[in-house]
Amino acid sequence: MNATRLHKWTLALCLALLTVTWLLGTEGKQGVGRDEAQYMRAGEHYWGWFAELSDNIKAKRPGNSFTPGGIDRYWTDNAPDHPVIMKVLYGVSWRLFHAAEAPAGAGLHPVAPTQKQGTFPIFERPSTAFRLPAILFAGALAALVFFFACEFVPVWAAIGASILCIAQPHYFFHAPIACFDAPITTMAVAVGFAYWRSLRASHPWRWACAAGVLFGLAMGIKHNAWLMPIFLVMHYLWMRRHDLFRFRLPPVPLVFLAMLLLGPPIFFAHWPWLWPSPVERARTYVLRHLQHEHYNFEYLGKNWNNPPTDTDLKLLRASFPFVSTALTLPVTTMALAALGAAALLRRRKQEDGAFATEDVPMPGRSSWLRPGQDVTRAHAGFFLFQIIGPMCVLAVPASPIFGGVKHYMTAYPFIAILASVGLVWVAARVALVARANRLPKLVPLAPAGVVLLGCLPALAETQRSLPDGLSHYNWLAGGFAGGASVGMNRQFWGYSVLPMLDWMNANAPANSNTYWHDVLGDSLNMYMRDGRLRSGMGNTGVGEDAIRRSDLGIIIHERHMNLYEGVFWESYGTAQPVFVRTREGVPSVTAYRRPGAP
Amino acid sequence: MLDRNALKKHLPGVVAAAVLVLALLETAQALVSPFRAPSDNDWQRAAAAVRGGFKTGDLIVAAPAWADPVMRRHLGSLVTVAMAARLDDAAYGRVWELSQKGAGTQTRGQETFRKRFGNLTLRRIERTPAEIKFDFVQLWQQARVTRESAAGSVQCALAADRFACPDSGAHFVKPALLEFDFGMRMALFAPPVRGAAVVLQYDDVPLGRTLTVGAGLHHVWLRKAGQGDVTIEVLVAGQRVGRLTVNNRSAWQPKNFDTGAFAGQQQIVRFVITSSDPSSRHFGFAAEARQ
Repeated sequence: MNATRLHKWTLALCLALLTVTWLLGTEGKQGVGRDEAQYMRAGEHYWGWFAELSDNIKAKRPGNSFTPGGIDRYWTDNAPDHPVIMKVLYGVSWRLFHAAEAPAGAGLHPVAPTQKQGTFPIFERPSTAFRLPAILFAGALAALVFFFACEFVPVWAAIGASILCIAQPHYFFHAPIACFDAPITTMAVAVGFAYWRSLRASHPWRWACAAGVLFGLAMGIKHNAWLMPIFLVMHYLWMRRHDLFRFRLPPVPLVFLAMLLLGPPIFFAHWPWLWPSPVERARTYVLRHLQHEHYNFEYLGKNWNNPPTDTDLKLLRASFPFVSTALTLPVTTMALAALGAAALLRRRKQEDGAFATEDVPMPGRSSWLRPGQDVTRAHAGFFLFQIIGPMCVLAVPASPIFGGVKHYMTAYPFIAILASVGLVWVAARVALVARANRLPKLVPLAPAGVVLLGCLPALAETQRSLPDGLSHYNWLAGGFAGGASVGMNRQFWGYSVLPMLDWMNANAPANSNTYWHDVLGDSLNMYMRDGRLRSGMGNTGVGEDAIRRSDLGIIIHERHMNLYEGVFWESYGTAQPVFVRTREGVPSVTAYRRPGAP
Repeated sequence: MLDRNALKKHLPGVVAAAVLVLALLETAQALVSPFRAPSDNDWQRAAAAVRGGFKTGDLIVAAPAWADPVMRRHLGSLVTVAMAARLDDAAYGRVWELSQKGAGTQTRGQETFRKRFGNLTLRRIERTPAEIKFDFVQLWQQARVTRESAAGSVQCALAADRFACPDSGAHFVKPALLEFDFGMRMALFAPPVRGAAVVLQYDDVPLGRTLTVGAGLHHVWLRKAGQGDVTIEVLVAGQRVGRLTVNNRSAWQPKNFDTGAFAGQQQIVRFVITSSDPSSRHFGFAAEARQ
């Protein structure tokens, strides 16, 4: 390894470690959301299969674990919703790293644990042990973005790309949680990077095969992966558009063959639930997502829970990913990305030494191994398709938007890389101004100063957003309060109850008639296992009658949940809450207690 | 006139400087904004001021509306369910408004008090309240409820808390706290039925110059499930004075129907509710006769 490579690897490792440290230092304040708790449960469930397989191997009957019954006993949990790579990692991480759990959580495991603590009990809370793989994926993203950005900008700007990628409040909310949206974002960059390198690298077949394997793994993480080849093919056709203009078929690149040949087998191999009936169950999985119901989601003051049919609503709905991006990303990051995009487009006409210079046609003919050899690789087109592509899918009025930004978050790292091009452009202008004003000593400081200033607002906004990243909106929107006033979604999954659990512990009714609204059983179980919720709190269930059965209850503030507040007023006979959890004045959870309750 | 060459020369530097200034400003606002939200202490001091001057019949509101739960946390002993779920605010002569970040409630009237409590602004607005001559929700038991179709008229029987209509256990009319347009309103639950009109008739209603009606479709999940429009017609002494049609997109916007011709009289008022597609239409309305 030469000195330059070592230097880059060291920087990448540092960026990854800083990311992991930041996330581990803050994840404990972020509640366990509804879906996350389900994935934790499923991960532990899947671990049960591996434990049983180990027992069966010892008993010389490993085949028992591979019978339909042996598989379905464990793997039907959270199927057909999501493939299992991340959930398996969450389960394995829990098994390895959890310390002895709180007594209140005994009996809340999906399968009976065989040991009191993990092999390396380094995490006090089991939820942290479950979350570790997601956090490591975020660390990997920081490193990957750095390496990818190095393809376009100097190292100092690539560091900026990495920071701007991680320091985005909504991404940062999703990064530590045991779900799939941050990991699939990492995989989008990994697949994109391997594709990019396969176009013209010295060992393109390695990168092409890597892209195939990574694509297969991405399919094992989340269904967004299905879209990845589409955006890459669009870029490829754009890159080789001159072939099309001449009615000449572009070479079919190895990278797409690899994705086609390696992706599906890896997907089928990784998911035991598919094995008993691969075609039928794969079909069920695909249909689950193609026909996904529309949950409620607030956007610009309206509640969206059906595909719009009126033209004005269709148009408004189509603006969702673009407006949401404009109101969630740090404003400076967006400004830098816009400058970066302009710089890349302008570069086509006028070579600019500040950027990578190798993107000119190379000697030799293109082939399926090096399909980008004799053409420019169309940097701007690449970013356009990776950024606008996922957003356009969410702009289709018929597509559900209940996850908000997370549904097209795979675009965000590419925005960060574009922003790093913007950093280079700004630094070049600052250096020019310094020279023109006879301040040559400032010239070498320009890159560091620009990266520092360019990343500062993103870091400040991200730290400010904790632990309520979903409620956070940027300066354009007016922060937490501005987002609420504009009518943007405040939260989902009921994660925001965590900071008031101490209050709930202290104020629970003696008869345990507690209504938890959108904080469902798996989340409550995890809080108990974490030792953050005492046992015997009770749970009257879900729905309006569950409120009527309760003496203490909460309402998670989402627009469509207002209905339940009225049930409290009616049933408890008062409109006065006993506790309101707010963030910068904006209510996120409100608690009611029945007057005179024990 | 700006020299084009000079502009071309300096514009990139200006843009770069603007981005750096933007970065500084955005960082500063990220650090400062959390301190611009009202504190618990601000709310407590403002609430004490409201309590000190509150009179029966006053209204308390929060601006922006999302701050309402926090306002009720501090002043909920004065904010009854009836006040929180009101038809509108016309009947209130004095309105206490607790606002933040420059928001307001568009309450009309004369400002008679204004004071800042940290990051909260308390205002009192006074105006002449609407005189309520008849509240159709509160006096629901005075109604006669029928289902009317070409086949004839079917009477719905008065029970303890509702009018129960025959032939269909699921069809009834009753006062209830309903969710319209994501807000709570005290209203009459009166869902339409297929092939017939649901009619609520009040026989001796003292009328003023206007009859105010608010209507909507209750329950977010049913608005997701159903599609049909619902129409409510208001007739006084057999003459139509107004009509409202609501659907899934309807906001809660009470309308004032002119009853000036009947002011000072006791008249028969009929509310006729129809829908061509009544499935999942949990219609409700509130109405008041006002001077």
